[in-house]
Amino acid sequence: MPPELSVVLAAVALPFVAAVSTPVLFRVLGERTGYAGVAVALTSFLLLATQLGSEGTVGLAWIPSLNISLRFAIDGWGLLFALLACGIGTLIFLYSPAYMHGESSLPRFYAALLAFMGSIVGVALAADLIAIFLFWELTSLCSFVLIGHYTADDSSQYAARMAMFVTVGGGLFLLVGFLLLALVAGDVLGSEFAFNLAAMLENPNEIADALREEGLFLPVLGLIAIGAGAKSAQVPLHFWLPNAMAAPTPVSAFLHSATMVKVGVYFVGRIRPMLVGPEWLFLFATLGLTTMTICAILAVGSTDIKELLAYSTASHLGLMIAGFGFTSIYGAEAGVFHLFNHALFKAALFLVAGIVAHQAGTRRLENLSGLRHDLPITTAITAIVALSMAGIPPFSGFYSKELLFEAAVEARHVHDIGVLGWLYPAVAVFGSIFTVLYSLRFLSLFFGERPEELGHVDRPSVMLLVSPAVLAALTALVSVDPEIAVHAIVQSGVDATAVDPHEMHVGIPTAYSPPVGMSAVTIGLGFLAYPFYGRIHGGVRAIPELIPPIGANWWYDTIVDGLTDGGAWLAARIHNGLLRTYATWTLASTCALTLAGFAATATIVPTHLIEFDAPIAIALVMLVAVMAAVAVVRSTSHIAGILTLSILGFMIAIFYILASAPDLALTQLVVETLILVIFLLVIEEIPEYYEVGLGRVARDAVLSVAVGATAFVTVLVTTDARPAGSTSIARYYAEQAVPEGGGTNIVNVILVDFRGFDTLGELAVVALAAISILTLIVMRNGGDDE
Amino acid sequence: MTTVIMRTTARAIVPIIFVVAASLFVEGHNLPGGGFIAGVLTTTAFAIIYLAFGLDFLERGVLGRDVEPGKESSRDRLVVAYRRLFEYGLAIAVLSGLVPLLFGRPFLTQTFLVFEGVPIYHHVEIASALAFDFGVFCVVVGGLLTILSVVGAE
Repeated sequence: MPPELSVVLAAVALPFVAAVSTPVLFRVLGERTGYAGVAVALTSFLLLATQLGSEGTVGLAWIPSLNISLRFAIDGWGLLFALLACGIGTLIFLYSPAYMHGESSLPRFYAALLAFMGSIVGVALAADLIAIFLFWELTSLCSFVLIGHYTADDSSQYAARMAMFVTVGGGLFLLVGFLLLALVAGDVLGSEFAFNLAAMLENPNEIADALREEGLFLPVLGLIAIGAGAKSAQVPLHFWLPNAMAAPTPVSAFLHSATMVKVGVYFVGRIRPMLVGPEWLFLFATLGLTTMTICAILAVGSTDIKELLAYSTASHLGLMIAGFGFTSIYGAEAGVFHLFNHALFKAALFLVAGIVAHQAGTRRLENLSGLRHDLPITTAITAIVALSMAGIPPFSGFYSKELLFEAAVEARHVHDIGVLGWLYPAVAVFGSIFTVLYSLRFLSLFFGERPEELGHVDRPSVMLLVSPAVLAALTALVSVDPEIAVHAIVQSGVDATAVDPHEMHVGIPTAYSPPVGMSAVTIGLGFLAYPFYGRIHGGVRAIPELIPPIGANWWYDTIVDGLTDGGAWLAARIHNGLLRTYATWTLASTCALTLAGFAATATIVPTHLIEFDAPIAIALVMLVAVMAAVAVVRSTSHIAGILTLSILGFMIAIFYILASAPDLALTQLVVETLILVIFLLVIEEIPEYYEVGLGRVARDAVLSVAVGATAFVTVLVTTDARPAGSTSIARYYAEQAVPEGGGTNIVNVILVDFRGFDTLGELAVVALAAISILTLIVMRNGGDDE
Repeated sequence: MTTVIMRTTARAIVPIIFVVAASLFVEGHNLPGGGFIAGVLTTTAFAIIYLAFGLDFLERGVLGRDVEPGKESSRDRLVVAYRRLFEYGLAIAVLSGLVPLLFGRPFLTQTFLVFEGVPIYHHVEIASALAFDFGVFCVVVGGLLTILSVVGAE
């Protein structure tokens, strides 16, 4: 069944349209705008749900001349991701009005949230590299607005900038990867398919082979990995995600659980069938497992409930990346299924964290425990989702973690990877132990003794509970019968990301297998270590304090501060308000670039400098000009300097006459005269004599010689390239000047008849120059008055 | 600069420059010259007047107006006139380009007419490009004089 263009387009466009109309909606609905968001998200969800089971590409022409179009591909994987974004979006919008009650700038909040959802749906469905990149960066922009929601709060601004810096910067790597990929795809599939990802994925082997042939396989893989890794908070760029908890909790739930951070994982899954291979396994399995372990350990070191959840998100993203990294079918199953499970339980956990913070007034782990009497429903919800996060059977997270273990064990049967074949399963188990630990720690918010200083904790309103309850119910459903989820959506997602899709089966294991043993070890050690949580927590916290460079934040701060200081230093050097500094740097860099360009293209051939023949008259005129130039430098008074400079100008005019260019000569004469007069007008204002240091003289001399040399070489090169005899253009003008323009002066006919539009542009330049000088002087006077 | 020699010379050469500029402008289509060169030359003549008689001479001596001392140079009536000149020049150039559109020809299309048997000149050719060139002339004169008088007044 082919997809419907109108339905897909409506599902993608609706959130954006709603985002634009938010200010109007807010005027009418006030804080209930969130419920309008529910309607929008639900409509998009239902529209996309009608496309379930269909497969194919639909699109609109966008930039046909560059073969770029707004193309959407519908398949199980894209739909799974888009449906998660819309579905969880619906619940977030349902939760927001109660949570954000009484906050300021709500129109901006809802507009950004809607646009955020729309761009994620866009990434999920887009099948054109440029469209993907556009939506990809849009998610970063929207998240920047959302994370920086509290504009008066410095830490919020810091976090927003950091997220923007890392994810948009990563996106640029992705763009370069895309362009390389498009270059190769254009060769293999024809230029009309250069940006068509859907077409590339239909011919994965041809593209991969062509990439290897061109030697671009590793660069493309690496660039995409950097882009996806930055977006999905993979080590060493994981640090922005915990900082992003500065955002309001509904945003955190949306950002961390369902969507933006998973865009990287999603894209890795998307291109997996095309680029999978030994390099792929090594890159993504290592990256994912490292991230999973490091962020799980850091989660144990957290002191804030949202921080704990944020690190745990990064850790689970690592798990998904590692899953997709393993080349066997289990890898794809682990990645897709865990993405699905994680979206459900992590969104619920963030919403629970929001409830706890909202009701108890604190987010510090050490101040919170024994909340089960105050928040009974929340406790039940948390128990389901936290145990699912820990991967305890029979909760949903267990199944996807089993698949990861299976894939890790399987890796050494598929590829010959030596010791890594043992290391991968071991690291997976090691990281998972910490997952169990922090999941239990989160659960302990509700159990154990209630601290005295906690005070009275109110029950949350129903509107706060609905969304996490729905998510917990879904998690419970998947836990009881994972095959439901597999049949509904996961299987079709696996089909789109796996190289050789099989029918997928998950369930409680009934016999011993290596993954079962690994799970037993993980859970057993996790529970055994839990009593020592305090010591482990302290140990994890102590390490970055001892050695700051271990913390990624340290690197970020050092680099950003360094750039800021460097920028300030540079600005003070080249942007100091003195005209002569600007002139120096502009001239020097222009000369350097021009000369480097000539050198790089080997345009300057030394032999040309020797062969010259000029009529004696021209040589004589030029000699006088050179002598005048020397005299200008040697002249002691300004008047003498200006007059000798005019000799130079008039000699050039004579040169034009000798070279039979009377128009140029006339212009040169007139302009030279005007310049002389202007100089005379301003000369009275200039001091008689300057005291100039030797260093400055040397600098000016070097600069002048460089400028002169550049101009000389440029003239030499450009006139050298002149074609022998008259060109067809020159002949055309010469023949057509009288019959077409009615003038015998070809130069003037060209100026006003043939190329009148150029002249009009030059007129605009003269007018602009006059206006800008007028403005400059008026503004300076205005500044003096103030 | 306002020496006797300078003034005497200026009195003699400024009218000559204006005549030369006018002839360069008119014959530009067939001989070296044109709107740009004529414009620069005219500006030179004005600059010489400024140089020889001072900045206020045009207002006081030629136009017979009083000059308020200490007035902002950009608000000066002459500067405003120069500014108008290049604004009008730009308008003339653009409008002369728009006229062909009325006859269904592309923007900036030019044509010319030849008149025979005109007294004294016998053979006169009028090119529509002259209007465009006049726009060029006005912009150059207006623009350069605006710059010159504003900067000169500083």
